[in-house]
Formats: sequence, C-alpha cells, structure tokens
Amino acid sequence: MQLVVNIVVLSAIYALIACGYVLIYRVSRVLNLAHGELMMLGAYLLLATAASFAGNPAAAIAAAVVLSLAVGILVYVLLMRKMTGEMVLAAVLTTVALGTLLRGLVVLIWSAQQQYPGQALGFANPAIAVPGGGRVSTFAAILVVTTALVYAGLFVFLRFGRWGVRMRAAGQNPLLAAQRGINLHAVYALAWGLSTLTGSLAGMLIALDSGLTSSMTIIGLKAFPAALVGGLDSLVGALIGALIIGAAEVLSIQYIDPLLSDVVPFLVLIAMLIVRPWGLFGTHEELDRV
Amino acid sequence: MRSLFVVAAALATGAFSPALAQDAYVVGITAALTGPPAGTYAPAVDSLRIYIDRVNAAGGINGKKVNLVIQDDSAEPSKAAANAKKLLTQDNVMLLIDASLSSTYAPVVAEAKSAGVPLVFASSVCPKDVYPPASESQFCTTAFASTYDSRAALAFVKETAKEPVKIGFAAMAIPLSRGEMEFAAKQAPELGMTALAIEVIPPPTADYTPFATKLKDGGANWVFSWAPWVTQVRTFEALRRLDWNGDYIAWAHLEAEGELKRIKDSRLYVVGSNALFEDNLPIQKEIAEATKKAGGKYPPEQMTEGWIAGMVIEAALKGAGWPATPAKIQASMQNLNVDLKGLRGGPMEWTKDNHFRTKQYYRVYRWDGSKIALVKNWFAYDVK
Amino acid sequence: MSRGMPRASGYFRTSYTQDLALTQTRLERVSLLAFAVTLAAFPFLATAFYLDLACQVFLAAIGALSLMLLTGYAGQISLGHAGLLAAGAFTAGILFHEFNAPFWVTLPAAAVVGALLGIVFGLPSLRLRGLYLAVSTLALHFVVVYLGGEYETKRGYSTGIVIDPPTIGGYAITNGRAWYFVLLIAAAAALLVCINLLRSRTGRAWRAIRAHETVAEALGIHIPAYKLLAFVISSAMAAVAGALFAYYRHFVSVEAFSLFLSIQYVAMIIVGGMGSLLGALLGAVFVTLFPYLIEAALQKLPDAQSYAGVLFAVNYAAFGGVMILFLVFEPLGLVGIWHRVQSYFLLWPFKHRPVAGAGK
Repeated sequence: MQLVVNIVVLSAIYALIACGYVLIYRVSRVLNLAHGELMMLGAYLLLATAASFAGNPAAAIAAAVVLSLAVGILVYVLLMRKMTGEMVLAAVLTTVALGTLLRGLVVLIWSAQQQYPGQALGFANPAIAVPGGGRVSTFAAILVVTTALVYAGLFVFLRFGRWGVRMRAAGQNPLLAAQRGINLHAVYALAWGLSTLTGSLAGMLIALDSGLTSSMTIIGLKAFPAALVGGLDSLVGALIGALIIGAAEVLSIQYIDPLLSDVVPFLVLIAMLIVRPWGLFGTHEELDRV
Repeated sequence: MRSLFVVAAALATGAFSPALAQDAYVVGITAALTGPPAGTYAPAVDSLRIYIDRVNAAGGINGKKVNLVIQDDSAEPSKAAANAKKLLTQDNVMLLIDASLSSTYAPVVAEAKSAGVPLVFASSVCPKDVYPPASESQFCTTAFASTYDSRAALAFVKETAKEPVKIGFAAMAIPLSRGEMEFAAKQAPELGMTALAIEVIPPPTADYTPFATKLKDGGANWVFSWAPWVTQVRTFEALRRLDWNGDYIAWAHLEAEGELKRIKDSRLYVVGSNALFEDNLPIQKEIAEATKKAGGKYPPEQMTEGWIAGMVIEAALKGAGWPATPAKIQASMQNLNVDLKGLRGGPMEWTKDNHFRTKQYYRVYRWDGSKIALVKNWFAYDVK
Repeated sequence: MSRGMPRASGYFRTSYTQDLALTQTRLERVSLLAFAVTLAAFPFLATAFYLDLACQVFLAAIGALSLMLLTGYAGQISLGHAGLLAAGAFTAGILFHEFNAPFWVTLPAAAVVGALLGIVFGLPSLRLRGLYLAVSTLALHFVVVYLGGEYETKRGYSTGIVIDPPTIGGYAITNGRAWYFVLLIAAAAALLVCINLLRSRTGRAWRAIRAHETVAEALGIHIPAYKLLAFVISSAMAAVAGALFAYYRHFVSVEAFSLFLSIQYVAMIIVGGMGSLLGALLGAVFVTLFPYLIEAALQKLPDAQSYAGVLFAVNYAAFGGVMILFLVFEPLGLVGIWHRVQSYFLLWPFKHRPVAGAGK
C-alpha cells in the first residue's frame, strides 16, 4: 500500500510540473526548458514573501502565487515575445539561456544554502495515515489534491472559458486565430503566466514538504519526459505520462536498483521516442513542425 | 581570423590584473563556492577569510600580512585545475588550499606537485595520501575521515543499543559515500549487528519516501548515514513520516547544529569531530563575535571548520618565518602541534608521516527535548 | 572559409587547383601567414596561465567545429554533445586503466566509440526533427553520463580516473608549450577536415538537407545515409576531443560533463554564428574566455574578495544574459558582426553593396 502511496505522490509531483510544459507547448509550440528554474524561483518567492508577511501564512502564499503569475507574464512580454516567428530552436535555446540566467540570479539573491519555507511560515508537516496501511506527509497529500484541482480547473478553463477557447484556437492554427481577432500576444502571455503559476505551485509544495535547494531544477527536468510520453500538447497525456514515469521510478527503486531512478525517466523517454514520438495522446502532425 | 589575432594580443598584453608584489604571505584557495555541494564548503572558506582578516588586522604573521586569493571552481575538476594553474603560476602562491569536492583533487594535486607548493585540504574529505605514510606535500585539516567515522559511529551504536541491532545504511549516489557505507556494512557484522542493504540515493530526488520505505520494510531499528547533509536529513524525515520509530545516526556536517534545533527529534544522533556551539566555549564566543563584526553570511556555528583551518595555517606560516618559500612552509608543517582550544577533542598534530592528525576525536550529540545534549564525550582513535 | 563579401571583385579562378586552394588573394595569404606566425610565437611570450587558456580554447574549438558540422551545416539539433565528449574521455580512461593502452591506440579507439555512439544518437534523427530530435539527444546524454558514473563507482575510481600523460618515443608530453603545439595541430587538422568535408559532395548534401529536406530528397540525396554520416563524423570528432581533453587534464571524471557543458557548446555555435566554421572558432574563443573576463572585471571592483563566493553565480547569470542578447539581437552571431565590420571597411565610403552584377 505504501508503494501505491509513493507512486501517487511522485506522479502528482511530475504531473503538476508537466502541465506547465504542456500549456506552453500547446499554445505556442515552444518548449520551455526553463520550467525547472521557474519552478525553483516560485519556491524562493514564497521564501521571500514569508519573510515579508511573517505571521500571516495565507497572505504569504497568496502573494507568492500572484507574483509567480506576474513573473510568467513578464517573461513572455520582455523576452519570448521577441522570439515569436524565429526558428523554434532559437526560442528553445532562449529558454535554456533564461534558465541559466535565473539559476545565477537565484544564488546571487538568496545564496546557495538549503532553505526551509515551511519553517519560515510556521507549518508543521505531520504524517497522515492512509486507509490500507500507508503513510503520507501532510504536504504531499496537499500536493496530490492540488494537482487534481489544477488539472480539473485547466480542463474546465480550456473547454469552456473564453480565454481557454482562445488558447486552444491559437494552439491549433495561429494564423486563423489571429485573423479571427484573437490577440495572440495576450494569449501567449496568459499561457506563460499559467504555466509559471502551476510550476511555482509545484515548487512551493515540494519546498514546503521537504526543503528548498537549488537542485530542484533537475526535478523539473525529470518531469519533462512525463510531458513528452503523454504527448507534448495533451493535458490528459501529461497526467498519464506522469503516472507512467512515477510508477517506473518507484518500482525501479523498490525492485531493481535505486540508482536507476535517476535515469529511468530518460530511458522511458527514449523508448517512447523510438516507438511513438508524438506521445500517447499527442497530435501526430507535431512531428513535422520544425 | 584577424579578430582572433586582436583578441589574443589584447589578452597577452594583460587585460588581467598583474600578480601582486611578494611582500606578504600569499595563500591560494580553490573552493566549491557555488554549485550543489557549496553548502559544505562555502561557509568554511568564508570563515577562513574572516580569520585571516582578523590576523592581518592584528599585525599579521611575523610582521607580514597574509594575502588570501580565493577562486571558485564550482566543484568542477577542469575549473579547479585552471584555478590551480592560475594561483600557482600567476599569483605565485606559497600555499594552496583545496576546499572542494573530491573529484577536483587529482588535477590540483598534480599542479601543486609540479610547482613544488604544499597543498592543504580544508573542509574537503581527506585523501588517502595524508594518512600515514603521508605524501610529502599534502595535508588535511578536515573533520571527517573515511573508515574512522564509520568505526566511531558503529561503536557508538553498539554500546547504546538496548536490543539486537538491525542496521540499515543510506548513502548518496556519489562514490565516496557509497564506498564508506560499504565499509560500514562490512564492519557491522563483526560487531554483532545485522547489516541490511545499502540504500543509494541519487542527489536530485523529488521524494525520499520510496528509499525510506525500503529501509523500513527491511526491518531496520538503526540507520547510519554518511553522506552530504541533504541526503542524511531528508532520509531521516522521510523515515519518520512513515512512522518509523528507530534511531538514526548521521555525520555532523556544518549544518547539523541548526538542523538538530529545527527537527527536535531525540533519537537523531550526530557524530562529529567538532564541538558544537551549544558548549559555549570561549573560543566559540570569539568566533561568533568576529563573524558578526565581519558581516559573515553564514551563522557562527558553521564557522568552526574554516576557523580550525585558519589556526593551523597561521601556525604553519609562523613556523616558516620570513622570508618564506613554499619549501620552508612545507617543512614547518611536517612537525606541527596546534592547540585548537576545545574546538576538537585534542590538538591538531602533524608529523612527518602523518599529515592527517595523530588522534581522531569524536563526540556524539542529540536533541534531548529542550536543548542539544552531549551523549558521548570525546573518544579517540589513533591514526596509524 | 568565409562567404559573403568578397575580398576581390570578381571571380578569377581559371583552374581546379586554384579553386581548391585555401586562399585566393595575396591579402588572404599574408594574413594567414601572419596569423600562423602569431600562433607559433604565442607560447614563447605568454605565461603558463595564458598557455592553459589557449589550450582550453583549442580543445573547445574541436568540439565546437564538430557540433557546427552537425547543427550548423546538416541542421540536426543536438543537445547531448557533452555525452559524446564524455564517451571519448572515458574510452581513453578505460583503455588506459584496463589495458594500459598507449595514446595512439586510445585516440583512434575513442573515434570509433564516438562513431558508434553517433549512430545511436543519430538513429532518432531518421524519424524525428527539430525539438523531438533535440530531446532525444538530451535523453541520450543523461544515459551516457549515468553509464560513466556507474563505471567510476563499480571500478572503485571514486574520485575520478587518473591518466598518465601520453608519451611519444619515451618523451612524455607534460610541458605546457608541448601541449599547446599538440593541440594547435589537432585543432588545425580538425579545421582542415571540416573545410574539405564541406567542399565535398557530403557538405553539399548536408547543406541541402538543412535548407529543405523534401527538395533534397527529390534531388536524389539519400537523406538517412547523410544524416547518419553527419552524426557519425561529428561524434567521432567530439570523442577525439574528449580523449584529448582527458589526456590534457590527465584526469577523467563524470562531473566534468554536465548538461551545462552541452549548453555551452550549443552557445558556442549560436554565439559564433550558425553555418560558418569561423563562427565555431569565434564562439569557442568567446565562450571559453567569457568566465575569465567576468572574473577579471569583478577583480577591478573594490572589495574583490567577497565577490569570490558569488562569482560563479555571476558567471551563470552573465552567460545566460549574453546568450539571450545574441539570440534576440544578433541571430547571425559573432560572424555576423565580423562580416558587418568587414563590409564597412571594404565598402567605405559607400554604405551598401551595389545592387546588381559585381560579384557575390
């Protein structure tokens, strides 16, 4: 039973991070390799707001969430907007460069030490017993619930919300969408904002659960195979992909070799690329868009 | 093509600052000030810098100031090699310090050897060459020592345990930690304990629970971990979350003191060579004051390792006299006995054959419900 | 070597020999000679530190040239270059430790291993393009690095593998100056290989594939073979660079081959300018020297010592910033700037090239 709990928790982490990759790719066909760094930035923002709003955890969290939305929109407006229309590789490399820049800035501002936002906010993290004999920590449970809520919210938003429909339209055919009067820049900015928001949520919850180090970016990178396995432009796919990767990782720790857990996501990724490059639920034509 | 020529010419004519005049002791440091392992090394280097600044403010050593040149290698071997080359050939250092990950050792050792400059490892793990019979030019002041640490921890477990011990091991997926845990796993049965499997945990892990699950399912009532602090503490927290009620013993890294106060678990033991600030020794008050005055970035209790390195280097330079050469400094270090004023269990003693220390002292601490308490006072192993 | 603005007006070659020559005008020959003399004289004028920098630049140049062949000319994106370098370095290390092989065995062996790995890295390119190809190379990089780490641990080289310096006829190459010339020759050889490759049928096929793959196929170019060839040649060259790197540092450890190293190589070809060998060289020089320039700049500030702790963070931030600046404002890279400067001097006092006729 504990095994199931472990798989669910890890999959939830990867799923929450993966939906950020999917959002941006689906809407603007850009692969945001800075997502891990943005995730880490969100957690550090929580640390900063915890210091400013000492004694009021709810306000600190709310402020951090709003700030991360703003950061996402700013990244688009200041940087990625200039790369629209350029080679896709150039846009991806811009995100890589942005990630490097953020990594340096974070260490410059906050130092390389391990931080504990949970402690700064005064949260304890007791374990909850799960029916069936497993145990999960409070924040891990909150993370699972958050992932479910975020996905539900995104499904509803993309299906029924006005801007959600616009985002889907811009993703399917930017030219037509623009000619229908949809402000592409606004849609892209919103996509970046939402992606950074969900990534920051993941970063904050992981930091609250087990602490914040600058190696969180690698966790972001390990979640990328989850997005790709499911299909880079499918939210459902991200969920399923995260489940597959999470299960593969936990099972390989338990039964094969704990060390393999580092490289298992990439092995699954390679296997998927060989068999079905567009992922389980992605659109086939993505393959030829260079 | 021509632009390359222009660039090369500009560089050759010294866009870089020239080496300083040799009217001071010049000491070079290559350290992992940034990068994932920085948390262990950066505070020590900062502390060493504060110590040397203090010494300089008080008039220097033998009337001369000490010039500390610090280079960051971010735990990358090629950067460390470049740093070493620069320090040795451009800055003409008389003494080189390596405060970085063990992967940087080989190139730095080679550079130091070919330049004939002594090399001190401070806050970084002591290589085999400083243990007897020691290599002429390598020295080490670092607290932790492979194989001795395991012996100390296991000995402590044996005498504290009230029931037959089934001991699990948690290592980080770096060769040093794995090697140590394998040594410990071999030692444990000789002390009458049942050794369970070693859990090797890759550094960037999102969730430590799966590894903790394996330790718990193995039936461990004790777990020993010798790895960077991050692995040690997260495995422990994951175990506790799984409702595991055993005892956990870990190496007391720089961060240990602050972390013991944060975690407040009375069955988390830390074994280490440095006295924790809870003891409130006069030298520790001195360190705290100096850190505050200098505006150090790290809390005082993380300053011990660097302070010790500073004391040892001061003694070595004093013994070398002035004018000093690398050879004289090396000679002075072959026979050194520095009183550490209680920061360690005994003096730092180097002899011609032993550049580690003649006796390695250990203490065990834990949180006793209201403060950090000493569980076992200084016990020592002779280093042969 | 550099296209675009001609140094002479018109095309005056009258024989194939003239066409194949490296330099066309007297000015080109003189500058090449001057450059060669500078390079040869440099080690006798520079300190050991600058020698080391030059050697690092040469090593980086070989890697950058190989990546430029693959990405700049053949159009196949690769984010796993560090994995190939690691493969070459580890081949040298493993052969040295297991079989005590001398360097004239390990270098070709590294090339062979690189070529084989190139096939593995290149297979996805037959089905994938663009982002997906980049991602597959990224994944393979992690796998190669993992395997290297496993070897290190399983064989007990916890702090890395130490390699003896290579010996030629009993003389061990340890001197900085000796290494400078060895690496200079290696880099020059790599450059010559690249130039000749690009002038041949293979080079033309690669350019066609990069420009428009469907048209290339319609023209009768066998796409899968040339794509794989690009990967194989590029990987073999990168592996040799990795092996040389291992010998130069006489040390191999998996930490040196991080993802950031891959990104640095990609930055070299982007900052240098895609689709130009000169760009690869300029990019290699720039990216290798960049951290040292930042450090020198920081040293000029007051209270330099306390910045030592944040130096690498500044490096990261500055590196990311510079890469963004080049990507956004100067997509043609350093070569683009170089050509603009060249055009300015060549065209002066005019500002623009004549519209019709007069040479290309």
